[in-house]
Amino acid sequence: MEKGGLLPSLDDSIKEIRRISGGSSDLLINRFVTGGIHCALLCCEGMVSTSVITELIFEPITDIPQQKDSHGLFHYINEQLLLSTDRPQVKDYDTLFKLVNSGFAVLIAEGVDFGLAFGVQGYNSRGVQEPSGEGNIMGAHEGFTETIRTNMSQIRRRLKSPELVMELFTKGEKSRTDLCFCYMKDRVPKSLMEKVRRSLDDVELEAILTTGYLRPFVENGSFEIFDSTGTTERPDVLCSKLIEGRVALLVDGVPYAIVIPRLFCESFQTLDDYAYKPYYAVFIRWLKYAAFLAAVLLPSFYVAIVMYHPELLNSTLFMLLVEAEKKAPLSILTETLFVLLMYEIIREAGVRLPKPVGGAVSIISGLIIGDAAVNSGLVSTPLLTMTALSVLGGLVVPEFNPQVTVLRFIFVIVGGILGLFGISLLACAVLVNICATEDYGFPYTAPLSPFKRKGMGDTAVRMGMKKMQSRGFTVEEYHE
Amino acid sequence: MNSISKSQLAALLLIADMFELFCFSGNMSLQTLYGVLAGIALQLLAALVLAAKGTELKKCAAVFYLAYTVFFGGTLFSALWRTSGAVYIPSESGSGVSGRLLTAGLIALVCLYSSSTGIKPVARAAVIAAAAGILCLGIDFISAVLNAEWGNITVPEKRGLFYEIARGAALSGSLGSLVVLSGAVKGERSKAFVWYFAAKAIVSAVLILTVLAVSGGIMSVTPFPVITAAQLSQPFDAQRIDALFLVIFAVFAVFSAALQVMTGAYLIKQIFPRFVRWRSSMVIVFIIGAALMISGRELLPVRACAAAAALIFAPLGAKKSAA
Repeated sequence: MEKGGLLPSLDDSIKEIRRISGGSSDLLINRFVTGGIHCALLCCEGMVSTSVITELIFEPITDIPQQKDSHGLFHYINEQLLLSTDRPQVKDYDTLFKLVNSGFAVLIAEGVDFGLAFGVQGYNSRGVQEPSGEGNIMGAHEGFTETIRTNMSQIRRRLKSPELVMELFTKGEKSRTDLCFCYMKDRVPKSLMEKVRRSLDDVELEAILTTGYLRPFVENGSFEIFDSTGTTERPDVLCSKLIEGRVALLVDGVPYAIVIPRLFCESFQTLDDYAYKPYYAVFIRWLKYAAFLAAVLLPSFYVAIVMYHPELLNSTLFMLLVEAEKKAPLSILTETLFVLLMYEIIREAGVRLPKPVGGAVSIISGLIIGDAAVNSGLVSTPLLTMTALSVLGGLVVPEFNPQVTVLRFIFVIVGGILGLFGISLLACAVLVNICATEDYGFPYTAPLSPFKRKGMGDTAVRMGMKKMQSRGFTVEEYHE
Repeated sequence: MNSISKSQLAALLLIADMFELFCFSGNMSLQTLYGVLAGIALQLLAALVLAAKGTELKKCAAVFYLAYTVFFGGTLFSALWRTSGAVYIPSESGSGVSGRLLTAGLIALVCLYSSSTGIKPVARAAVIAAAAGILCLGIDFISAVLNAEWGNITVPEKRGLFYEIARGAALSGSLGSLVVLSGAVKGERSKAFVWYFAAKAIVSAVLILTVLAVSGGIMSVTPFPVITAAQLSQPFDAQRIDALFLVIFAVFAVFSAALQVMTGAYLIKQIFPRFVRWRSSMVIVFIIGAALMISGRELLPVRACAAAAALIFAPLGAKKSAA
């Protein structure tokens, strides 16, 4: 991109702008004369609001009285007219294009080597809607959108404290994506903030199109099964994280915010937990822990016990399984892998297909394939039940879906080859990996290990709000 | 070395001690319990002397503890091979030597990965594993109480107390790790030692008493009393829970081996500072080599003598602290 300053000759400047943009059709250059000075207003089609630009820019500008030169004209506009609240000055073509492509209108005039920009953004964007992935019954039904400034306003609406800081900056050589670094300056550990900033300095991507582009830069480089940074599409959840002293990163064009650091236990917490009575919240929380374990381990335990440790089953259950598996033509391991693969294919098809067809996929998979597979004896009913339970368990904690899916497969294979012994070995490796997950000195497994008694009040149980109020918790307590 | 907490050190060492008790072979009696408790008391005394000294080891002491670690690592794998038939490890029971090597290889692989992550993650994982282990053992042994015959506890033992003390002292595989890792403990070391040995004494006593109550009557025909007790302890009439024990057995085996490997790797670093890579792999190779040499023998006298030597070396081998 051109870093040179704006040319004072309007014709030369417009020529230069056309050269840099390669004659792009969406760059609109409106030439006009106001106050006796030749000017041009630049904007990008589709990025500005036509009504706003007409009412707030064109109408007042064309009424400007005669000026002796361009400096006088700009001085008049700056001092006498309040065309928009956001009015940065443009001194080079790099800034000019950045602003024009962000929905600003830029005014340049004959004889001056700078321009005036006016924020008149008016591009189409999705409105605030209910989050699709983080369902909630009692909490707010607002989710983040693709527009970063809307997201910033949603956070500000919930945290009106001046301690909340939102720093805007851009990254991405080509995409020039707006990013927003959010934190509560009285809560966030200074070292965390500095380290995250340093990590972001390393970003030299051409484009940032989703949070996944940035997360590797703010995560530990070593192999981690689980993510040590989280994402949320709920402004209320993000606000609670900010109050706990975490930092967040908003990315323009993405309805998710990155939260740093993330802990394992947080994935089992929802805002609804705090809306219900503690005893029910505790019940739901433990249900989720159990569901997570079932999602990962249930099919593998089934395979291992049926193949290698049938003595662990009581006689009734054993006979039932023998009867069911007797008809199945495949080995239990192959059968389990087949069912799991079938489910993953159906799920992937359901996600990628258009919604009306997705419904048809559910009918075909659930009613036709499932029923036919069991009736034909290709798959045994107990195995299908175990797999269904495991899959349902995985849906209870949707954030872990990628990890659960892969781990479930690996555990099934290991259980099928080495029985419970193999499952135990793999469980050790996974446990060590989870415990090794740590970013910026915050262990992923806190407060369980390293054990922090104070943190267990909102991990093993959910203490009452009155007690939480006096806790004054910040994430710094987990720092090692 | 990264610092770990008192509870993390205790969890790591307790897991290793529990695994040794799981693999305990031969008869058990009340005198065994006295022997184990006496061994713990001796170790505590030596540890308290060590706590007053510096944390860094002299080179000769480092060499001794490396040999100690490799030897006890070997006995660990050897014990695993001996007991694998009783706890039923599929690959092991399938095919003799190759099955054994496969079992050892798999555990070594997990150990290698664990030790590559460093002491902190393993120590954190050990706390979770120890908590889960104690919970599962609790379920197993509470159900054992239903099948227990408390009269079995007082069944007389033919061997003397001295022999039992030697057997108790032989259960000291984690002693080397205690000496080496104690330098990494945050806070007061003597408190950490008292905490750990107290926990070890309590868990050992509970375990041995339960084993005596459950399998005391058939002790003479029981090769591995703890494993037998776990297998006899079924809380439900129509449902066995051996799986719980097998899982805990395998998990404890991995952490015990990982502890020895990490200790060995740390000592190699201290003895040969320029030897940077493959330290853990080398220790694993040494340990499996030692296991093959031990080839299933218990070597009680050797283990007891090694433990005694380690107790003497602990205070003598430490460099004086700068303070």
